[in-house]
Amino acid sequence: MLCDICHKREAKIYYTEIVNGEKKEQHLCEECAAEHTSFQMKMPVKGEFTLGNLLSSILQGYYNSEEKKQEESANPVCEHCGMSYEEFLKTGLLGCADCYQSFGSAILESLKNIQGSELHTGKRPKGYVKVKEVSKPVAELSEIDKLTIRLQQAIEREEFEEAARLRDEIRAKKAKEEEGVKKEGAPNA
Amino acid sequence: MRKWYEETAENGDVVISSRVRLARNLRSYRFGSRLSDEDAVRLVKEVQDAAPLVKEKDGKRYFLCNVNHLSEVNRQAMVERYVVSPTLAGKKQETGLILSEDESVSIMINEEDHIRIQSVTAGMDLEKVFAEANFIDDILSEQLSFSFDDRFGYLTACPTNVGTGLRASYMLFLPALTMTGRVEKLSEEMGKYGVTIRGLYGEGTKSQGCLYQVSNQKTLGRTEKEIIANLDCIVDQVIKQERRRREYMLQAGYDEIEDKIFRSYGILKYARQIGVEDAMTLLAQLKFGADAGVVKLKEDVNLHILMMNIQPAGLQKLLGKNVGSSVRDRARAEYIRNKLPDIERGQNS
Ligand SMILES: [Zn+2]
Ligand SMILES: [Zn+2]
Repeated sequence: MLCDICHKREAKIYYTEIVNGEKKEQHLCEECAAEHTSFQMKMPVKGEFTLGNLLSSILQGYYNSEEKKQEESANPVCEHCGMSYEEFLKTGLLGCADCYQSFGSAILESLKNIQGSELHTGKRPKGYVKVKEVSKPVAELSEIDKLTIRLQQAIEREEFEEAARLRDEIRAKKAKEEEGVKKEGAPNA
Repeated sequence: MRKWYEETAENGDVVISSRVRLARNLRSYRFGSRLSDEDAVRLVKEVQDAAPLVKEKDGKRYFLCNVNHLSEVNRQAMVERYVVSPTLAGKKQETGLILSEDESVSIMINEEDHIRIQSVTAGMDLEKVFAEANFIDDILSEQLSFSFDDRFGYLTACPTNVGTGLRASYMLFLPALTMTGRVEKLSEEMGKYGVTIRGLYGEGTKSQGCLYQVSNQKTLGRTEKEIIANLDCIVDQVIKQERRRREYMLQAGYDEIEDKIFRSYGILKYARQIGVEDAMTLLAQLKFGADAGVVKLKEDVNLHILMMNIQPAGLQKLLGKNVGSSVRDRARAEYIRNKLPDIERGQNS
């Protein structure tokens, strides 16, 4: 979506303003938002650069609208650290790592606004293994999941012969599973 | 042992230094805003316990300290030397530091995030400082378990740092763009590419001594390499613009500029009291003159270090005692008089 003011840049900020009791919704790019709204985009921040205040000002602008009343009942609270979403809006700082899960879609929305993205593509900690469903404890992983993990580790260690062997094993297992599904489905067909 | 800022480097006429900072948090503690005092003490200790491993693998000498136990002046002086952030220096809770002897690597503990790994070098070399910080990150992760999420990357207290946790920045010296009032416009243009510029000692885009910090705004959705490449690309443009402006200024009004620089030198050399802002402006003009060959310093003096040392707390530390601002202004003038080398007309005249 293009910015409502300049019609050139991509709109990244959704801004709701109440003017004379009338709700006015605008979709703005960062540059226009800085000029035409009350957000302070380029905060004179002393010392270490932080966008925390900017974030909270954007989100506050967003929620200081009529929607706020509706949101209040749905103001999520992080079970782990007790921080509420509204509290987070005031400071721009989260209470713990679990807040990212606890605030769910609200956090996702703000990441899109601030970062223009919601998916990490950079570094992973050494030895970190990506699995389809990360939260699964190892015991619950399927045979194929476990093999996939070993495959990734083998690739990371550049043990390509082992990797090729694991790849073939996974293929064979997958083929078997699919066959199993077909067989199960067969009597009903 | 020479400090990193005492080295001379490539593109030094515009790029003073390169710095990266990686934000990391430990799984087993809440973020700063929800961290109890006892947990802060435990956190600092747990991270400092990894220092021997860092020493062993990195081969540098490292010092440990608990920043909140230091005096106000010492903390402030560390901020002025960019060893710690103002956030860390201002915290009442337990805060820790693991600092390399040359001050190029500092690991801040219990800053906004549990860990901030910072690496700095003189001149333009983000690749080198990123490699260093990345290496330290790998070492620390052998002993500490970091909060990491498959989708959001490294989890940070503020969502503006989430993902890579990487803030890469250059410190730039932009006298010509400042004197011609181009920095505001530049700031707008850079914003479009997710790059921010702000004055180093001043507020917003105003700066003292024409020194600026330029850094990436976004940390999520692009790789560390992409972030650095993007910043390099923008800064290359800024360097070109600054140099073009300098050349133009020198061609258009060499005699005026030469006169201005010698006058600035005159004040610096003979003033009996001088405020930090005045001193920074005049030193910036002198540095510009020296870089551009309008004047020649008869001794090799690093003017950027001089700029760093005349900041209030740095000066206080050199004086070894707490003094009021008028005493400081006299001390500053004296310090500059003593440090300033003789000059002569440069090879360009
Ligand atoms: Zn626009
Ligand atoms: Zn939480």
